[in-house]
Amino acid sequence: MASPAAHREDTAPAPGPPLMEVTDLVKHFPITRGLLRRTVGHVRAVDGVSFTIGAGETVGLVGESGSGKSTVARLVLRLLDPTSGSVKFDGQEIAALSQRELTPLRRNMQIVFQDPVSSFDPRMTICSVITEPLEAQGISSGQQARDRAAELLDLVGLSSRDLDKYPHQFSGGQAQRIGIARALATNPRLLVCDEAVSALDVSVQAQVLNLLRKLQVELGLSYLFIAHDLNVVRYISDRICVMYLGRVVEQGPADAVMTDPKHPYTRTLAGAIAADPRTGGGTRRVVVRGEMPSPSNPPPGCPFHPRCPQAFDRCSTEVPAPLPAGEGGRTASCHLLDITAVNGKAVGR
Amino acid sequence: MIEYVVRRVLYGLLVIALVTVFVFLTLRLIPGDVVRLQLADAPGVTQEQLDARAAALGLDQPLVAQLLKFLGDAFTGDFGISFQSQQPVTSIIAERLPITLQLGLMALIISIALGVPLGLLAAYKQNSWLDQSLRVVSVAGLSIPNFWLGLLLVTYLAIWFAWSPPLVYRSPTEDLVSNLTQMALPALALGVSGMAAIARMLRSSLLEVMRSNFVRTVRAKGAPERTVLLTHAVRNSLVPVFSLIGVQVGGILGGTVILESIFAIPGMGSMIFQAVQMRDYPVVLGAVVVFGAVFVTVNLVVDLLYGVIDPRIRYA
Amino acid sequence: MSEIDAGPATVVAPPAVRARAGRRGFGRLLRTQPLGAIAAVVIVLFVAAAALAPFIAPFDPTAQHRDAFLAVPGSPYLMGTDDLGRDIFSRVLYGARTSLLVAVCTLVAGGVIGMVIGVVSGYYAGGWVDTLLQRIMDTLMAIPGIVLLLFIAALLGPSIRNTVIALSLLVIPTFNRVSRGEMLRIREELYVESARASGCSTWRILRRHGLPNLLAPILVVASLTFAIIIIAESALSFLGIGTPPPTPSWGAMLSDGSRYMEIAPWMVVFPGGALTLGVLAFNLLGDALRDFFDPKQSTR
Repeated sequence: MASPAAHREDTAPAPGPPLMEVTDLVKHFPITRGLLRRTVGHVRAVDGVSFTIGAGETVGLVGESGSGKSTVARLVLRLLDPTSGSVKFDGQEIAALSQRELTPLRRNMQIVFQDPVSSFDPRMTICSVITEPLEAQGISSGQQARDRAAELLDLVGLSSRDLDKYPHQFSGGQAQRIGIARALATNPRLLVCDEAVSALDVSVQAQVLNLLRKLQVELGLSYLFIAHDLNVVRYISDRICVMYLGRVVEQGPADAVMTDPKHPYTRTLAGAIAADPRTGGGTRRVVVRGEMPSPSNPPPGCPFHPRCPQAFDRCSTEVPAPLPAGEGGRTASCHLLDITAVNGKAVGR
Repeated sequence: MIEYVVRRVLYGLLVIALVTVFVFLTLRLIPGDVVRLQLADAPGVTQEQLDARAAALGLDQPLVAQLLKFLGDAFTGDFGISFQSQQPVTSIIAERLPITLQLGLMALIISIALGVPLGLLAAYKQNSWLDQSLRVVSVAGLSIPNFWLGLLLVTYLAIWFAWSPPLVYRSPTEDLVSNLTQMALPALALGVSGMAAIARMLRSSLLEVMRSNFVRTVRAKGAPERTVLLTHAVRNSLVPVFSLIGVQVGGILGGTVILESIFAIPGMGSMIFQAVQMRDYPVVLGAVVVFGAVFVTVNLVVDLLYGVIDPRIRYA
Repeated sequence: MSEIDAGPATVVAPPAVRARAGRRGFGRLLRTQPLGAIAAVVIVLFVAAAALAPFIAPFDPTAQHRDAFLAVPGSPYLMGTDDLGRDIFSRVLYGARTSLLVAVCTLVAGGVIGMVIGVVSGYYAGGWVDTLLQRIMDTLMAIPGIVLLLFIAALLGPSIRNTVIALSLLVIPTFNRVSRGEMLRIREELYVESARASGCSTWRILRRHGLPNLLAPILVVASLTFAIIIIAESALSFLGIGTPPPTPSWGAMLSDGSRYMEIAPWMVVFPGGALTLGVLAFNLLGDALRDFFDPKQSTR
């Protein structure tokens, strides 16, 4: 993994309205039971998430599995319908559009999945896989679409000779390049990468990440980059949102969040990285106690308090609001940042 | 568990009600006026007579009202009066249903009594010539149409042994031997395909169990192969076979239509065939509903017992 | 008629079918499933006999030879003659035509309708469309096969078209059940979600991803259902409400023969034998296809 230095000089996001603006996004899955399928509870997969993605910007979404990050990916693309909240794409509200109204918008926002091979229909050739979005949207078909597919394979570093092969004939890294080619077919402005490199070997990961960065510069793409691996997210992202139990607990510029985490949860995640033998660190290690609670039965107050080393009485009763936590619009949802709350209390250990 | 039973029973009742609605509506939607069909042979029928007959049958009421009345009557066990014999349909069915149930039960017993040993044998002698020929026999058994088998049995028993089953029905209380000799051949013909299906299913599920870890453990303890097979494996492999029985019953019930006609057995099957030919609608309706009800009930019982046999099934 | 209700689904334990067969598949099928290959040959012979009946049959199947009532099998009447002096061999050949015609029509009509219902139902599983359609299917399945056939065919009157309609009602639930189950599986596949993300309409997803991935299990069911249809058609004709005379059909021939079985058993033996052989071939082919498509079975 390359060193997590700022990879672009012009890190300041472009001014003007954001490409995507997500406000108070909520997704509850009902739990039904009994003869009449009564709803007896909800899985609060996503519980009030807000963030923005600027044009040409990469926003990283990190968290453990079960934190709701993949649900966020599906919600902003309307592969799932949100329970409440707003998703604006280029200023247009899409949370309430019908699937039919969404179709023309889909060309502007595409997704790359974690497992590329199973995201391809096993009976389709690579050519059909890549041209499917073009045909589905009525952009092009036939030879024209095939030419475009060849061009895209070339763009992601594969050969147009591969057009008539089948998905299972490719390695994981190659398949993910095909997944990226498909996602780029309609010239989207936003690419959602849902754990797009998590299943790949480390060396292949780096290749695919570099490809994504190259494409971003060439095509002016915005990324919503979802991963559980902080190193990967830090490497590619301009800004990071840290999710825990369906909420964003901290967000801000990537390097600032990583080098100086403000939320205890982010601190434990960053500590886990420091202990990662791949980074050569390991001196400073903060262990997360216990397991993440079930989103069907979240703890009262701060969702992290049962595992938080610094929790105090207020944490178990009151949900912390996002508080300013530094430059670049940094926020963290932690009572520790509320000076009046911790007044007279020892911070840390 | 109780909630599951209640839900299944309610759903079974719903399906039976839907069968009734389906049969009723189909009868009404098919072109051909019941009254005209019924009085078609009588010459010089006037319109007044037709209307009077229609009113007597309740056919002048709106369709929905007829349907509701029929459903209500059916649930109290009243299917109307047979056009043909002028007797209540319920009493005709009550007379004939036990005969068909006896035939079906005999067929079921035959299919289990033959199918289980054959399946065990095939699995025990896996891949031997015996297994191979049993495999062919069971596919053949599934493929032979039961009415052809019935005809062949009668024909060749008559030709080779100059023996024919009795052609007059006697109830088991009246003359048990005569009753059983008449029922034996159709029951055999009905049971063969069930036998083949059970043998096949038992063989494959038994082989699967034999490969499982727990059987390997029993073997490792030094138990002889025969004991392993008979005491441990069989019990576990009978579970999927049991689920087959519900399906077999549907086939057996359907098969009674032809076989009862061939063997002159006055059961539900020959009754529905005659009623269909005579366009005796109340009888047809009642018979189809009763057939459906028997089938649904058997499947319900099988499903519920399935949970008793296989403790792994959980009622969610 | 156990086969009619047992339906393929009992014989096919829901197969985790995955077809990676490709074009070399048929050769591999022949090699790994010899019984299936033999069955395929028998089926080809049947189709040939049906198609070429006018050229093979030595006599007009409806011609009554007044000099030869109930003639013993031999020369010139290979399988003997019936009570009206008609050549049974010729009638068996033409009967194959009737059987295959009815079976193919039923398979196309009932199979397509059942698949469409199953696919739509499976894709919208849990919705009201699914609930409604499945209640109707449960209703059709709650009536024993022959009883349903008898009921529908008798109401419509004997004709080949009506036989096809009645038989279609019988096979629709089978195809529905299999395709709905498969669709439930396919629906959860990532490629369906990814197609939706690509902007595919529901219709396009069902057509491009749903149906093609259903094909392998449907092929198995179609083969086993074909056997069921052939039996059911004969059963209806046997009862006199299927194919109307004088069109030769195996079921009607058996029915005629049943009246003379002690003096002319050949009237029953030959049409029944042809019927059983045809059914057997389709059952064996279905078995072979299932084993072929099911990776779990390949070790056996």
